[in-house]
Amino acid sequence: MKSVLIVDDAAFMRMAIKKILEKNGYEIVGEAENGEEGVKKYNELRPDIVTLDITMPEMDGLTALKAIKTIDKNAKVIIVSAMGQEAFVRDAIMRGAQSFIVKPFTEEHVLKVLSSV
Amino acid sequence: MSKLTRDPMLEMFIFETAQLLEQLEQIIINSEKTKSYSDQNINEIFRIMHTIKGSSAMMLYDDISILAHSIEDLFYFIRERRPLSMDFSELTDLILDGADFIKTELSKIEADGKAGGKPDELIESIKKFLLTLKDKNLIEDEICITKEKPVPKKEQRYYIGSDDLSGIPVKKTLKATIYFEEGCRMENVRAFSIIHNFKGIASDISYYPSDIIENDETEEIIRKEGFCVYLKTEYSLDTIREILMQTVFLRHLELEEVDQVDEVIQRQRSKEIILEDPLPATIEAKMVERVQSIEAQTHSLNQSIISVNVSRLDKLMDLVGEMVIAEAMVVQNPDLKELELDNFEKAARQLNKITGEIQDIVMAIRMVPLSGTFHKMHRIVRDMSKRLKKDVNLDIIGEEIEVDKNIIEHISDPLMHLMRNTLDHGIETTEERLAKGKTPTGTIVLEAKNVGSDVLIIIKDDGKGLDKEKILKKARENGLLYKSEEDMTDKEIYNLIFLPGFSTKDSVTEYSGRGVGMDVVTRNIETIGGTVSVDSVLDKGTMVTLKIPLTLAIIDGMNIKVGKSCYTIPTISIKESFRPLEKDIIIEPNGNEMIMVRGQCYPILRLHKLYGVNTETTEFMDGIFVMVEQDEKALCIFADELVGQQQVVVKLLPNYITNFKKINGLAGCTLLGDGSISLILDIAGLTNV
Repeated sequence: MKSVLIVDDAAFMRMAIKKILEKNGYEIVGEAENGEEGVKKYNELRPDIVTLDITMPEMDGLTALKAIKTIDKNAKVIIVSAMGQEAFVRDAIMRGAQSFIVKPFTEEHVLKVLSSV
Repeated sequence: MSKLTRDPMLEMFIFETAQLLEQLEQIIINSEKTKSYSDQNINEIFRIMHTIKGSSAMMLYDDISILAHSIEDLFYFIRERRPLSMDFSELTDLILDGADFIKTELSKIEADGKAGGKPDELIESIKKFLLTLKDKNLIEDEICITKEKPVPKKEQRYYIGSDDLSGIPVKKTLKATIYFEEGCRMENVRAFSIIHNFKGIASDISYYPSDIIENDETEEIIRKEGFCVYLKTEYSLDTIREILMQTVFLRHLELEEVDQVDEVIQRQRSKEIILEDPLPATIEAKMVERVQSIEAQTHSLNQSIISVNVSRLDKLMDLVGEMVIAEAMVVQNPDLKELELDNFEKAARQLNKITGEIQDIVMAIRMVPLSGTFHKMHRIVRDMSKRLKKDVNLDIIGEEIEVDKNIIEHISDPLMHLMRNTLDHGIETTEERLAKGKTPTGTIVLEAKNVGSDVLIIIKDDGKGLDKEKILKKARENGLLYKSEEDMTDKEIYNLIFLPGFSTKDSVTEYSGRGVGMDVVTRNIETIGGTVSVDSVLDKGTMVTLKIPLTLAIIDGMNIKVGKSCYTIPTISIKESFRPLEKDIIIEPNGNEMIMVRGQCYPILRLHKLYGVNTETTEFMDGIFVMVEQDEKALCIFADELVGQQQVVVKLLPNYITNFKKINGLAGCTLLGDGSISLILDIAGLTNV
């Protein structure tokens, strides 16, 4: 069972992702409300996969991605983005994000991306 | 996606969006004071709208999503371009309108799961505002509606221009055409991702469409025609195929070995012409299209909720107050004294009934649930627990309980203060908790419940509790002890912390302490006629209880007379009134007067002495006693006579009096039927003297 850390400032989004993943055999080992917390939790939990929102308070997704990659350069990070954030996603890919999910997403969409990393 | 729209998700959506709107409002209100938006606020508004956009799109509430998107765009522009001239008040109105719209939609969704409003007009105004902003600030022609950060040149290093393609040596050239699944979106970014993955595997990569980085419109082309890549590599065709097959949302892949790449250049040229469509126009057109289609889809739902400006409600409340006074003036008119007026009495009763009903309705309109105020605490707990490195959980109970709008405004700050105190001083750090054998996560319960005409708000934590010795020591040092230590109950000792000038924390922390003590809480709560009390068990936790009235504006009062002055006692505090028996009066050697009632001894308060009023009634036998109680403290007020009971409209004491002198024991004043002024007694103030 793959472990997942969900980083998103919106509880709603965390819930949506969590529901999909839990139903499909992923283990949600942690949730974080902002980048800073996300990085901290990544360090503690070392999940197989991180889903990372871009727009967050305290520390945004890109900064968090950089930090997570410094902790573990093989970290598997999936960016959760919205339309209009193409540039950020590209940045994230260059910084080593494995893949990305576009909001609003469907269950199928999420699972496909998760299983690809 | 309908699978997702089950109750918990909907609930979370409503809850979180409402919370975000609350934050948004807070930001706007704060910004309004300074007449400008700080960078942080702009960021925050942008983020809030971004989140609402995402969540509402997930829940298929497209109108909300589009509206949020338009505000997000607006703030994106403001954030990136920092326009110099900006109509601040118009901007604020727009956002508030937007927030109100979403709020109304939320309550509709809450009621029957359907949103039905049409924000089109509002979206238009927001767009118009954005356009004027751009015009006014004359920033290039290039309009950035898409959230594209200008991409630095170096990021384009994977793109090798057509000129460089000539004279490429050895290695074989492969051509791959990739088709993505329908609906996977951001095809251009996916294409970019593929190119990025070839780093180190292939060289001399060229691709079509070539402007996937700069131009997000390319996703359309890729969707239709696929993404075409030429690359030179030492790896075999199969290896490259394997790599490409791993692409997420891959629908179809064509891979072949080719001799040259000329074709690309040609196609690129031809494409460029097609691509010349100006970017903003297409997006704008798309937007309008979308909005129109949504307009067509939206069913006209009857709007059962309207938002009303609070100031109008205040005015209405004032008018009702005036009406209550006017009614008393008519019915209790001195001219009518001693007259037989049967029909008048009947009509007066009717009038009284109707004014009473109107008053009830107006009160009901002003009632708002505590949820907004309560949920603000989540943020505080979140921020503080993180910064203080404490693990804290906040449970909220009874958020649906309603109180008057004015009261909400008064309890928000004290609640925040109490919450900060609890987090800062009450809850221990995780290590401390574990050492004490407690759960690592501290719990704070914020609860509201109705008790008679009051609402109790209770903040309970499972932290370290109050230290009696420490409190006593501090109180001794500051001379705050009002009776001997031996005589004080635990509760009385704990409540010392609410006295002005009391603070046990030696070091001032970021959150609480700042020289402001708990007395601020007391003062705030007392201005709305409430009380604060605290109870605690060492190492088990602390419980602070705020008792607040449901409403302030109109109370039932008992009018009493002292000399020529009139006072009003809130009926709710009155236990009984009686004429004393001589034998019950006790006078201590030091002059303290007490009275025995059913074996209990109560202090006597002579109002005429307290306020220096001239009266002929100074003998207890000539006057009347009114026993009042608040917070389990009771005393007997001595007055000349009871005048009668009536509803009174509470008015604050005018500033020119309060500025001049703080008068203890007065909650406000009111107008009586005969036009005279009566002072409303503040029982909490009197019993605590």
